Amino acid sequence: MRVTQGSINASTLRGLQAALGRVQDLQGQLSSGKRIQVPSDDPSATASAMTYRSQQAADVQYLRNVDQVTARLGVTDNTLTSLSDRLREVRQLMVQAQSGAISNEARTALSAQASAVRDEVVGLFNATYLDRPVFGGTIPGQQAVDPTTGSYLGNDAPIVSRISRDATIRVDVKGTDVGADTTPALLDRIVTDLASPAGIPSADFTDLDAGMSKVLQNLGDVGARAARVDATKTNVDSQRLDLTSRISENEDVDLPATIMNLQAQQVGYQSALGASAKILQTSLLDFLK
Amino acid sequence: MTGFSSLNTAVTGLYAAQRAMDVTGQNIVNANTPGYSRQRVTLSEIGSGSSSSLFTGGGTSNAGVSVAGVARIRDVFVEAARVAAGGRQAALTSQTSTLSGVQQLFAEPGDTGLQSTMDAFYSAWHDLANHPTDVAAGSVVIQRGIAVTDQLHSLSNGIAGQWSIAHDALADTLSQANQAAKDLADVNAKVSAGLVAGRPVNELMDQRDTLARTLGTLLGGTSSVGADGQASISIGGVAMVSGSIAQQFTLSGATSPGGAAASPPILMWGTTSVPVASGTAAGYLAVLGTDLPALTARVDGVATSLRDLVNGVHQNGFQADGTPGGLFFDGTGAASLVVVPTAPAQLAVTQAPGMIDGANAMAIGDLSDDQVAATTLGYDGPSAQWRDLTTLVGVRVQSLKNASTVQDAVLSAADAAVQSDSGVNIDEEMTNLLQYQRAYQASARLITTIDEVFDTLVNRTGTVGR
Repeated sequence: MRVTQGSINASTLRGLQAALGRVQDLQGQLSSGKRIQVPSDDPSATASAMTYRSQQAADVQYLRNVDQVTARLGVTDNTLTSLSDRLREVRQLMVQAQSGAISNEARTALSAQASAVRDEVVGLFNATYLDRPVFGGTIPGQQAVDPTTGSYLGNDAPIVSRISRDATIRVDVKGTDVGADTTPALLDRIVTDLASPAGIPSADFTDLDAGMSKVLQNLGDVGARAARVDATKTNVDSQRLDLTSRISENEDVDLPATIMNLQAQQVGYQSALGASAKILQTSLLDFLK
Repeated sequence: MTGFSSLNTAVTGLYAAQRAMDVTGQNIVNANTPGYSRQRVTLSEIGSGSSSSLFTGGGTSNAGVSVAGVARIRDVFVEAARVAAGGRQAALTSQTSTLSGVQQLFAEPGDTGLQSTMDAFYSAWHDLANHPTDVAAGSVVIQRGIAVTDQLHSLSNGIAGQWSIAHDALADTLSQANQAAKDLADVNAKVSAGLVAGRPVNELMDQRDTLARTLGTLLGGTSSVGADGQASISIGGVAMVSGSIAQQFTLSGATSPGGAAASPPILMWGTTSVPVASGTAAGYLAVLGTDLPALTARVDGVATSLRDLVNGVHQNGFQADGTPGGLFFDGTGAASLVVVPTAPAQLAVTQAPGMIDGANAMAIGDLSDDQVAATTLGYDGPSAQWRDLTTLVGVRVQSLKNASTVQDAVLSAADAAVQSDSGVNIDEEMTNLLQYQRAYQASARLITTIDEVFDTLVNRTGTVGR
């Protein structure tokens, strides 16, 4: 094949262009830290990258939901604990009132104390989390129990939250399960009975004990739910971390390999330049007198 | 045969050497001229007639050398291969550059692409489910919805922008080609006239081949050179240049991206459509008529499925005041998708009328899961479609780039073949220069020698012994 200056020039230039192009690619990867900058760099890895990122975004949201659920269950737990304390207080007042040597003044005082506790209990039944009643189900208003009449305003509809891709959890406690519908009326009755010299009917004790056991039972249930949410949180969090490392594996440059590669390409480029400088300079002209 | 004829012979040698050095000079100075084909003098010896007769005498004479012509060295087949390779490369380049531009619009994979925006939108619904009565959470949902529509708008506008750029580039390509066709017709006429008149036409032929190559790159034209030295260009079977007549092509079809799918842009010669299979124009015609309309349809598909998916669930729910939920997204296609609710109170957060359970907000948030979306819609949801589309564009650009790399190698091999045939080698020219210089010196020496012979004859004859 006949070789000419023009063809040497063209092939040299093409070689240098290609070498410089490879250097530029690696340079771009190193400066951005990303192996994939546009989908065409690796279409299938792009698809995985998008799936991973989407799943990660969902996991972050599940974790935020879990935090909300935990906070809400915490409020519920505190409220139920206080509720059980208050009911125990009422029971003590009733026991005091049953002792034979109690004056009418003392009865009135006990009744007044019980009445104050009754208001507190109604207040606890009306506990809210972020302006929503904790024991009211899905009612639009903020109160589960009417403070004056003590009647139950809520419903039993559940409020659920998604805590992972496959799991939802009920975050509220049914008002009827903790006696929000019966306890205020019972306390009203006890307040009246405390004031009466006839003594406390045993039904009051039975009913109050039943109400207390409802509260305690649900306290246990709330605790169990909080534990389940905690376990889910651990799972989702580890899944999120796993996705982070997978995203990095998928998209980030392998630094040592890329730097070595760049070094090799640079050496290649420099040798190409050196060789071209030597070849292109000379011609027969240099050797003719 | 006289002694003087030897002088004549020497003069033809001087003349031939001079002419050869002229041509060598032309080669050297044009070593870097694009499209230049090296030239060679064709020398032929001058003898007497082959037959001897009574009157011409039996002795043959050596009458010298003559310059039969100056040959232009270019192989038409090598050149044709180069033109074809250039056309295919140009088609790939124009198609790749447009689709690469579209790919940049996608901004995937990353935190600013449509996927992330949609994920953030679904997340906002979950946040709203956690606080169904929170005005701020409701506003975030609306704003995130607007962010999704903004992204779809800019995507749709971006693709339309790429379409317009490609359309302008195609129009520009066509006007260049039309001009080149006119120029080629002019050059054809000059070549033909020059050949008839016996004038040197090598440089005109270089111009002719350069123009033919330009037309090959722009429109993928194939050229054939006739015996009269004129190049004919045919584009997909339609003659663009024949002899000194050039046809002007026009651009027809849709002039905006909207109508491109129904009436793709096309090149016309009068009322005849010109099938362009190669060259820059072919690449642009492919993206204008096929690639970009298909992409627009796919992006519209993403927008439509997002609209139907979210609306379906949104309309199943109820607002906090008990009003049934209305549309969340409205509009057809990516360009006109809008968010309907303007206030948080218009969001259908609840599933039981008159109650507040946040269950509907959660149901919309749950749509971020591909399986939930596919089950709800009955076909792939917007996220899955978007991923599919992104991968598709990535694969398309990647394969075009790979094809381009391969075609680059083909083109450079074709270029090397042309260079090898027609390019100027300085070393070779220098050697030729030396050779012709020596020939000139030798012919001059011949004259001196004959002169000395005559000198002996004229001035020394009869003086022997004096």
